[in-house]
Amino acid sequence: MKKAFVILLVSLCLLPLFAAGSKEESTALDTIKTRGTLRIATEGNWTPWTYHDAADRLTGFDVELGALLAESLGVKPEFNEVPWESILVGVEQNVFDIACNGVGYTAERAEKFYFSDPYLYTEAVLVVRNDNDAIKSLDDLKGRKTSNSPNSTYAQLAENLGASVDYVDTLGETMMMIEQGRVDATINAKGSVESYLAEHPEARIKVVQTFPGEPVCYPIRKGEQTDSLLEAINSFLAQARADGTLTNLSVKYFGTDLSKAE
Amino acid sequence: MNERLWSILVESFPKLLGYGIRVTVPLTVFSFSIALAVALLVALIQYAKVRGLQQICRFYIWITRGTPLLVQLYIVFFGLPSLGIKLPAFTAAMLVLGFNEGAYMSETIRGALEGVSRGQIEAGYCVGLTFPKIMWHIALPQAFRTAFPALGNSMISMLKETSMAATISVMEMFRQAQVINGRVYESLGLYLEVALIYLLFCTFLTFLQRRGEKRLSGYGGKNS
Repeated sequence: MKKAFVILLVSLCLLPLFAAGSKEESTALDTIKTRGTLRIATEGNWTPWTYHDAADRLTGFDVELGALLAESLGVKPEFNEVPWESILVGVEQNVFDIACNGVGYTAERAEKFYFSDPYLYTEAVLVVRNDNDAIKSLDDLKGRKTSNSPNSTYAQLAENLGASVDYVDTLGETMMMIEQGRVDATINAKGSVESYLAEHPEARIKVVQTFPGEPVCYPIRKGEQTDSLLEAINSFLAQARADGTLTNLSVKYFGTDLSKAE
Repeated sequence: MNERLWSILVESFPKLLGYGIRVTVPLTVFSFSIALAVALLVALIQYAKVRGLQQICRFYIWITRGTPLLVQLYIVFFGLPSLGIKLPAFTAAMLVLGFNEGAYMSETIRGALEGVSRGQIEAGYCVGLTFPKIMWHIALPQAFRTAFPALGNSMISMLKETSMAATISVMEMFRQAQVINGRVYESLGLYLEVALIYLLFCTFLTFLQRRGEKRLSGYGGKNS
């Protein structure tokens, strides 16, 4: 009896894995248009990409661009604020149509998602405590400790460079790990580090190296139903690039034009 | 289920189980030992109504039960260094989990002690036993039996609460699943897998609890 119960429970748990490939007749784009909303996943706590302004309104580079994207599809944007953990799985499971959250393109992610054309080219920085003179570049990370959040591609970069990574959940905690001397360094997005320093000018950290990061794209669900959606997104991005929208938004939120590859 | 997902799950299973055995289980055992010691002390102080100490215990229970575990972990790990106390992540997690669960368990034990009839305690005094002896030989063995199921419950919930240690950079089983997921993006599969391992551990604890209860029921008779 007990055994049967356990087996039942386990198989119930595994059910969604088998159901993942379920069929769907109309294309994702048609579904979005019929529904009248674009379901957007975004973190809402990551300046200047997606955050709440002083009046507690959701704003940021990705929020504004995402709203324009929805407009170009002729629908309303529906922003869902979810933790980074749930964003990509939500897109994969068709809970959201798209992630507007500064998602960087990587080959591993591309195995699971369609990626739009890049809309931003961010830079990454290497950050250490301001009294650290031992680490001057990525080459010095071997045998050191760094900190990142668990889904960060920068964490993988650090591991590939021979560092061991202590994982925390947010940028603020990452910086505390460095300030308290629990780790030596972090590799992070330049824009995020700069906005952290703008909020915390007293932070005892310094940037020792800047280098090109991953191109930022929109990830959407992979499959035949989303082909036309991907096309629509790419033509929106081409338009936004041509008419200067990307440049303007980038300057507005990042203080500089990141819309072109170096 | 596709082949890619299956091979990811198969590959990550020994890794996850390894972190479970090396981190989650020791963290549970150490934290539970701390919790039990704290709970016993606090319960006895409350039961004996030691003036001064009793107020301190009440304060401790009030603070610990009234604030989230996550906040306690943050304060001890990220907050205390500003007072010059810098604990390693595992130690911080162990202490916080121990003192947190200790507050709940102390109430369990105190309740069980209150359940031992006053007549027995008075009888102990009548035959000339001291308070510690009465506790040790009369009250605690009976209270322990009453409290046992609830204490087992605490241990099981603690096993799962160790996953909270991930937030202060302890690399335990759940965090390991998150890290693997960060590379392969199979959160549903990986989290179900890690849930299965927690279930496995908890099933084992439940089994131990049953055994323990059976043993205890044969000890001391029925009319206690």
